[in-house]
Amino acid sequence: MGWFGWSSSSKSTNEDPPLRQDRQKCWETRDAYFACLDRVGVVKAGDEGKQCAVENAAYNENCARSWIDYFNKRRVIAEQQKGLLAAANTQAQDAKRTS
Amino acid sequence: MSQQTPSGARDRAAVGVFTPKAAILFVAVGTGLFMYFRHEKQKLLEQKQKELESRQYGRAHVGGPFSLMTHKGEPFTDKDLLGKWTLLYFGFTNCPDICPAELDKMTTIVDKIESTYGPIVQPVFLSVDPARDSPCQIAKYLTDFHPRFVGLTGSYEDVKATCKAYRVYFSTPPGTKPGDDYLVDHSIFVYLMDPEGQFVEAFGQVTTVEEVLGRFEKELREWAKEKGRKV
Repeated sequence: MGWFGWSSSSKSTNEDPPLRQDRQKCWETRDAYFACLDRVGVVKAGDEGKQCAVENAAYNENCARSWIDYFNKRRVIAEQQKGLLAAANTQAQDAKRTS
Repeated sequence: MSQQTPSGARDRAAVGVFTPKAAILFVAVGTGLFMYFRHEKQKLLEQKQKELESRQYGRAHVGGPFSLMTHKGEPFTDKDLLGKWTLLYFGFTNCPDICPAELDKMTTIVDKIESTYGPIVQPVFLSVDPARDSPCQIAKYLTDFHPRFVGLTGSYEDVKATCKAYRVYFSTPPGTKPGDDYLVDHSIFVYLMDPEGQFVEAFGQVTTVEEVLGRFEKELREWAKEKGRKV
């Protein structure tokens, strides 16, 4: 199962660190999964139901659980920040118009 | 007397304008100039000294003695950082994206410095995840980055003490064992240390390769001017 094996409890010693091609593969499957979430209009991973199942499977196969949790959380935070920024911009423009 | 006049005139002609009066004036001006330049030189030296001191005082107390192990299993202490500039990064091999990006950045920086000045900078990766990052694991991990990278790890206590000295925060989830799948929260900085092991600068994640190079070259110029050597 390649580098991903270290996340299973059966292989708990002398595990290999993720290497460049492993990381690359993980990031690619993540990006594909997130692109699918964007298409179906879902921010929080898991809220998409049965959609994006193929992408999600590839993502799960190529990334460690800790990485998946981290990327998913970051996606939600990034979306919240985008929303906050947009709100701040509208507010600033409203303020300009009224002044 | 009248016979001596021509000879007296000849003497005057021979010495030109160098009359006793002129001689006194010459010596006086000479002494004055000498004193003036000595004074100016003294002032310059004092100013230089002040600059030097302010540079020293202006530096944060980052770093200190440590005793760890390299990715080849050899002992490595702060003394081994002397005689070369050091770029030091704290991270862990199971890092999803920030550490590899920072290590790629360091690789580019070290390559660029090396092509101009030779191998005067030592890149160092210090693991904040000693429970999982064995020397062997770090050795494999570092094959993705600059070939001169030195990877460091050690006992949890030794790593913790080193991080404390370098003002680096890290937190490992409690009760972890090798093989567990977890991330380590840690401060993201690339430290530049001079060849005497003194802290120069901490570069954050947003600092570009060009900015680091610019800062390094400025520091290198000042160092070379002061010490007469590059390392």
